[in-house]
Amino acid sequence: MNKFLPILLISIVLISGCKNNSNKASSDTNQLSGSISLSGAFALYPMAQKWADEFMKLHPDVKIDISAGGAGKGMTDVLSGLVDLAMYSKEISTSEKQKGAWGISVTKDAVFPVINSHNPYLKELKTTGLKKQQFYDIFISGKINSWDKLFNTKGKEKINVFNRSDACGAAEMWAKYLGKKQEEIKGIGVFGDPGIADAVKKEKYAIGFNNLVYIYDINTRKKSDGIEIIPIDFNENGKIDKEENFYETIKEITDAVKTNLYPSPPSRELYFVSKGKSNNKIVIEFLKWILTDGQKFISDAGYVELPKEVIQNQLKKLQ
Amino acid sequence: MLGRILKDKINKTWMLICIIIIIIIPLLLIAGLCYKSSFILEKHSLTELLFTKEWSPWNNKFGFLTFIISSMWVTAFAILISAPLCLLSAIYLTQYSKVIYLKIIQPIIDILAGIPSVVYGVWGILIVVPFVSEYIAPVFNADTTGYSILSGSIVLSIMIIPYILNILIEIFKTIPDELMEASLSLGATKWEAIKTVLLRKTFSGIISSFVLGLSRAFGETIAVLMVVGNMIHIPHSVFDAGYPLPALIANNYGEMLSIPMYDSALMFSALILLFIVLLFNLFSRLVIGRYEKKRF
Repeated sequence: MNKFLPILLISIVLISGCKNNSNKASSDTNQLSGSISLSGAFALYPMAQKWADEFMKLHPDVKIDISAGGAGKGMTDVLSGLVDLAMYSKEISTSEKQKGAWGISVTKDAVFPVINSHNPYLKELKTTGLKKQQFYDIFISGKINSWDKLFNTKGKEKINVFNRSDACGAAEMWAKYLGKKQEEIKGIGVFGDPGIADAVKKEKYAIGFNNLVYIYDINTRKKSDGIEIIPIDFNENGKIDKEENFYETIKEITDAVKTNLYPSPPSRELYFVSKGKSNNKIVIEFLKWILTDGQKFISDAGYVELPKEVIQNQLKKLQ
Repeated sequence: MLGRILKDKINKTWMLICIIIIIIIPLLLIAGLCYKSSFILEKHSLTELLFTKEWSPWNNKFGFLTFIISSMWVTAFAILISAPLCLLSAIYLTQYSKVIYLKIIQPIIDILAGIPSVVYGVWGILIVVPFVSEYIAPVFNADTTGYSILSGSIVLSIMIIPYILNILIEIFKTIPDELMEASLSLGATKWEAIKTVLLRKTFSGIISSFVLGLSRAFGETIAVLMVVGNMIHIPHSVFDAGYPLPALIANNYGEMLSIPMYDSALMFSALILLFIVLLFNLFSRLVIGRYEKKRF
């Protein structure tokens, strides 16, 4: 018995290490079973969770794992085979396509510039808004580094700019709107979308940018405590007209994004990316479901539905 | 008879295989890093990579100087804070206090060593960053959000205390009491005895413990990147944000496959890290070796 015990233990460990390749879905569509994994952008995380929950209700034998680590991490994970789908919140670049990235757009959302709700200049900012060039000088060139350079005031409080430290879609999109790249945004790098929202909520003179879902509270449909959006003065006339003022509720803002009143960039389509067109039946069914039945969960979650032509195009790709 | 000799030989071989595996794994690691970095070294010269400031990977510009300098600042200040603290504590614990205190403190220090890096990072964000921005910065008339080299150094210094302190305590314990008593009997004060006998005899050990702390500090990733600010510029004061090398790798490995040459650049920075730590170790051995020669 003494000699057998170690051999017994080792064989138990080895056998339990063998795993069925449960990624292979069964051939019957109504009885999908297996598990798939997703990773990537914080922007898509809440939506993907909702979709996964609803899909798993329809297919109880399917398990969907989701983790958020930034869009860049998602792309790296899917291209190296670690996950089945990447949640990607920026445009797929040519070098990524060369490595096999194959994307389906699933929904739309946007990035907004944010400040602390106790910022003393909030009222003025809400009436005049800021122009693209002013944002450029705050985030990129650093020419406007104190609040008195925006408004004629006596105080010389510095503008504390916050950026994203992880490779992500939000920063890339905001930088793209200003004509530059994420690395050219000059600010303190904080990790993750919730991270930058927290940093802005804690600092009175902070400025940053966030995805829609991390600014608004899904339940009240209004902005969360402590954070406010700086309206962008699109027609550059020095004040925020009625058409430019759509920041109070989620419905107003998603309508603005849908009708392109809020341009892209900083709004953009969000993608699920796989390495090549996926062979996994669960993945294809999930994507098809998202483009059809899944779209009805989008507006409740605070995202923007895709226009019909885009949906048709994506479905064609999936055939 | 042959059976027993065979068994003996087999047992010897098992152990030989184990030690070969232990030696081969780091060598494989270095070989892998070198291979991956070779791609970027073909396109850019070593001086251009190590000594230029411009970091724009999408423009094919990879200048690591800002990151190397940031790393050096954070590590230097961490050692500056931690080394005197540890040295004086070790002297007090082994020479002045009752033995029972040493017995109580040592497990506490081991607990400090076991706390995960991320926990230090979260503590740093919650406590150290506001502390630096509200209490320390106004004393020096500096304006900072708190995410700075100083916060990184403070968090790092706490993290390396267990390593330095434990080694120092072990070293000081090896000095026999009789040696100290001999110098005291000749009329030296306690502090003089410590300075001339204890510290001199253990000097090489003290240096090697500092170097160990330094290497740990240089490579510490998560805790530092959460509080250091992650801004790509050369810091001009401790209250500026910085961007150490390990933070570069941890923050950007997500973009690795999206920009050409980026993965090679990040592997190269890992190689730089490895190389600098090896350099420190080599340097400390030289110092110790020279010191030993002088004494005898």
